[in-house]
Amino acid sequence: MSDTLQMVSRRHRLPDTLVRVVSYSATRLVALFFTAVVGIFVTILVANMGGYVDEIKRAEIRETVTLQVFTDPKIMRLPAEARERRMREMIRIGEERLGLDRPFLSRSLFYLRDALVLRLGFAERMNSDSGSRLVRNIILERLPPTLLLFVSADLLLFFASMFMALSLARQYGSVLDRIVIALAPTSAAPAWFFGIFLILIFAAVLRWLPFGGMVDVPPPDRSVAYAASVLKHMVLPVGAIVFSTIFLAVYSWRTFFLIFSSEDYVEVARAKGLPTRVIERRYILRPTLPTIITGFALGLIGIWTGAVVLETVFNWPGLGQALFRAVGLYDIPVILGATIIYAYLLAITVFILDILYALVDPRVKLSREGRP
Amino acid sequence: MGERRDAWRHVSAQRRPAGRVRLLLLVVAITLVLPSAGLAQARVGAWVDAVIAVQEPTDAAAISRLEANDFQAWFSATSNPDLRDRVARNPALTSVASFGLQSELTFNPVGPVFPGTNRLNPFASPKIREAMNWLIDRRFIAQEIMRGMATPRYLPIDNAFPDFARLADVARKLEIQYAPNPDRAKAIISEEMGGLGATLVGGKWQFRGQPVTLTFLIRTEDERKQIGEYIAGLLESLGFTVERRLGSSAELSPLWSRGDPARGQWHLYTGGWLITAIVRDEAGNFDFFFTPRGLSGPLWQAYKPSPEFNRVSDRLARSDYSTLAERNRLFSQALELAMRDSARIWLVDRTSIWPRRAEVKVVADLAGGISGSLLWPYTIRYEGRTGGTVRIGVPNMLPEPWNPIGGSNFIFDTTLYRATQDYPTIVDPYTGLDLPQRVERAEVFVKQGLPVTKTLDWVSLQFVAEVRVPDDAIISWDPKAQRFITVKEKHPQGLTARAKAVVHFERDLFQKVQWHDGSRLSLGDVMLGWILTFDRAMEGSAIFDESAVPSFESFQQTFRGFRILSENPLVAELYSDAFTLDAEAIGAGAAGAFWPTYGFGPGPWHTVALGIRAEAAGEVAFTEDKAAKKKVERLNYIAGPTLAVLDRHLAAARAENFIPYASALSRYITPEEARTRWTFLTHWREGRGHFWVGMGPFLLQRVSPVEKVAELHRFSRFPDPSTKWVRFDEPMLAAVAASGPSTVRIGEEAAFEVRITFKGRPYPPREIDEVKFLLFDAKSALIASGQARQAGETWRVVLAPQATLRLVTGSNRLEVIVVSRLVSVPSFATVSFTTLPR
Repeated sequence: MSDTLQMVSRRHRLPDTLVRVVSYSATRLVALFFTAVVGIFVTILVANMGGYVDEIKRAEIRETVTLQVFTDPKIMRLPAEARERRMREMIRIGEERLGLDRPFLSRSLFYLRDALVLRLGFAERMNSDSGSRLVRNIILERLPPTLLLFVSADLLLFFASMFMALSLARQYGSVLDRIVIALAPTSAAPAWFFGIFLILIFAAVLRWLPFGGMVDVPPPDRSVAYAASVLKHMVLPVGAIVFSTIFLAVYSWRTFFLIFSSEDYVEVARAKGLPTRVIERRYILRPTLPTIITGFALGLIGIWTGAVVLETVFNWPGLGQALFRAVGLYDIPVILGATIIYAYLLAITVFILDILYALVDPRVKLSREGRP
Repeated sequence: MGERRDAWRHVSAQRRPAGRVRLLLLVVAITLVLPSAGLAQARVGAWVDAVIAVQEPTDAAAISRLEANDFQAWFSATSNPDLRDRVARNPALTSVASFGLQSELTFNPVGPVFPGTNRLNPFASPKIREAMNWLIDRRFIAQEIMRGMATPRYLPIDNAFPDFARLADVARKLEIQYAPNPDRAKAIISEEMGGLGATLVGGKWQFRGQPVTLTFLIRTEDERKQIGEYIAGLLESLGFTVERRLGSSAELSPLWSRGDPARGQWHLYTGGWLITAIVRDEAGNFDFFFTPRGLSGPLWQAYKPSPEFNRVSDRLARSDYSTLAERNRLFSQALELAMRDSARIWLVDRTSIWPRRAEVKVVADLAGGISGSLLWPYTIRYEGRTGGTVRIGVPNMLPEPWNPIGGSNFIFDTTLYRATQDYPTIVDPYTGLDLPQRVERAEVFVKQGLPVTKTLDWVSLQFVAEVRVPDDAIISWDPKAQRFITVKEKHPQGLTARAKAVVHFERDLFQKVQWHDGSRLSLGDVMLGWILTFDRAMEGSAIFDESAVPSFESFQQTFRGFRILSENPLVAELYSDAFTLDAEAIGAGAAGAFWPTYGFGPGPWHTVALGIRAEAAGEVAFTEDKAAKKKVERLNYIAGPTLAVLDRHLAAARAENFIPYASALSRYITPEEARTRWTFLTHWREGRGHFWVGMGPFLLQRVSPVEKVAELHRFSRFPDPSTKWVRFDEPMLAAVAASGPSTVRIGEEAAFEVRITFKGRPYPPREIDEVKFLLFDAKSALIASGQARQAGETWRVVLAPQATLRLVTGSNRLEVIVVSRLVSVPSFATVSFTTLPR
């Protein structure tokens, strides 16, 4: 009788859980989608300065045409009316090319529609390195160098700081602990700042490492040599990123672990005489895992846009430089392309994190209303 | 012809024994001489084996990399005084200067009260605008703000260009007349402000009870920020309230360039203009900068030049003069009137330096520097040796696709692909005159009464009563029938032109000039260029491009026809209504019209044909405008997704043995030539990975677009010796020193000696065009002017008693101006003396 009751109860619970999970997921997805829509539309409005960018573009076209006319003796020698006619025509063609012959509002809605269906289309002014006008190619060509540099740096930073933080948490108050605490404020300076010094020391003075770029000049033909050359060029930028962040990261994680290691259940575990490694793994790392995963995941997707100044300092052909150029040129499709991908990545990450929380942290449960 | 050949055979048979001995002697002589002569003389094309271009965005880092010998030349300019000093301090580095960027101050001329407001615009008054010339100390800007990286500029013509040298005496007089005089400026401005109804209350100008606030648009990208601050300070010291609006080009141009000046959103703007090549005729500057005819924008439409200035500017712009003397008179008048109008006033010409390793030599253009120099690929080398690799740094590269018809016009890309192309004529980097490269000579015929002159011997100039265009000359194109249209068809009543140029290309042109893929230059290359001139701008064409129409319409306004007089050797003539002051430029323009280099790079018919096929199929477009309109990719011959499109068309063209515009070009391109070209191009594409085929001293070996590296290798089959252009290594800027008596008695003759040197040695007198002098009295009034006379290695200025009689007792100044034939920048010297009473 009791077995039958239990089975009925389980059967009843399974669809109930499924419904709750599906309903929660759907609600979250819809909410995230609307957040993305709002974010993208706000980006469109901001990137266009509410339509004022049209004015800027029109003025730029006029200025460019003016300079073209001034520096072209053939045009300068034309009679005034012919010169004016030619200039008007050049301006018209330029405006049409940038879509300025259509009102801003209707263009904004087209931008939004295309962005949402990931139809990234053509850039207005920029080209990819290989000369393509497709926004997709502009982003995809620059993405690998950015990912290579920042994922390497991020992974190195993450694992090194975790390892050091755990180690320092065990040696609380030691000389090494105090040194790390003392060095933590150095992270106030950005990576590019350290980069300049590293270039000065290791490239300009010692001449051990290259000034910048991604590969030797000319690029090696063989792939092994090419990879080695890229690794050599990564040393300084990765070093700058790691150096600029590691002390603060270690300090933060070490403090975080220290707080958790003074929880009652950790004390109980210690009192039970469990080994330190087991305590760290089961009683400190496990409950802090959601925070660690969140930090790691958000750090990874934060890499998406690269780092403009660092890439510029090291002349690294990354996405950051490309996006900076797009902003300078008011190339809305490229700005939007990068933003929409970032928005989708962020939404997907948040969604996956929600599920991961439930998996890794037993304290997280869905309520009957579908709320965690 | 046959008889003549036989006769020649006969003679050569008779001479055979002696010929054998001579040949033997010649072989012995060559064997003995060759090792000592050195291989440099035998080397053709580029001096170095390779040039590798790398990207380095910042100039400070570039200098560090030069110091570390990471690269050997920086193909960009810097105006940073600290970097200039750093380069000067380092013996391993050197640099060359160029002048190209001009800073000016643009005034809003609307007013005196902005319509519908109570806001006064003092700059509506020409007198206040003119007084700004006395208020601003240009020397302070050049020396203090720009720390010597600029020269003061007063006039709307460039200090370093031929017109300035031609009118140096007038220019110098005006420069002295408008030298800083703040008291005079203040007096004029105060008087005018009073006249406009403003009052000075507590040291501040007020108008209708409100402070007179000037909105000053100040650009922030360069030194114009400090210049703007300096001028704003001067205006504040006169009692104006200045509202500074700092911003970039993008932020400010909607206000000054596009906005209606009558809205009163601004009063002054720190403008700037960039020139990248020497302009030999600046007569149009007045019309462009000061009259509503200049441009159609709202600012230009607000200009109201005086009737006299308007007339003179218009005449100069339309070349409405018949002699150079008349032009000079008009020009002098215009310069004076421009200063009185001062709708904009020039401040400084920025000097830029182009740093490089001291062991590297390269010719730079006086205006465009190294990146603007056509001669850089022909002359870049290590001093004292041939071969080797030079790494060059550029701030940015490959931002746009490369294709010859509508590809990248980005300055640093242009610099690179110029190395892969050759020219029929090359511009002298120091005078802007055209010099022959693939042309033996040109005959220029112009209508009588046109102010055309010639300087160099490769051009002959004749004035004729009428230039009649022959009936069989080609004047247009039928895009449907794909055939040329003759003058007789289009103008049965006949046609005349204002100028005609007959260009005689080198006799062995088609034998010696090769494309990089091994194909020989042919008439097909020339004729395809002509077809594209018409076809792309005609609506019936399969490759019609709307963006080609405006320039084609301009071309049509003056183009009157062309004719091929001889196919090999190539002799061709061009008829036009356009002319320039220099016959060399007319000849060069005509030669360029028959040369297969397009606006954006070299174009052998077979590579261009692939692009034509792809564009006609609607897959890609040559130009940015058409690509955007058709929503397709813009053709890129060196990388990217369009290479696959070109590959497909290459395979098809090879299979069909395709000849573009076959109905017209089959006459010039044989099936054998087509077959050879497609085979060579296939091998080229397989070997180099791209479709960029040129004929210049360097070929494009490899491009790494993401890594931003371009490798240029020496083209070993280039026809000219490497030494051809090295004479332009350095501009021969004359150093002038004048000396004479420290005291001169009024009414007596006085003689002064002028020494003109270059690097301590006397300047060759035959290369000196003019040595002029100006005599100013103590009040800076011009008393006399004239020419100095040559006296051996020096020159003498003699002041006649009549001239000294007009001086009063006190300190005087003699200005000497030297104009060279080798460099367009004039040199100056000043000597002061005191006059004593009679």
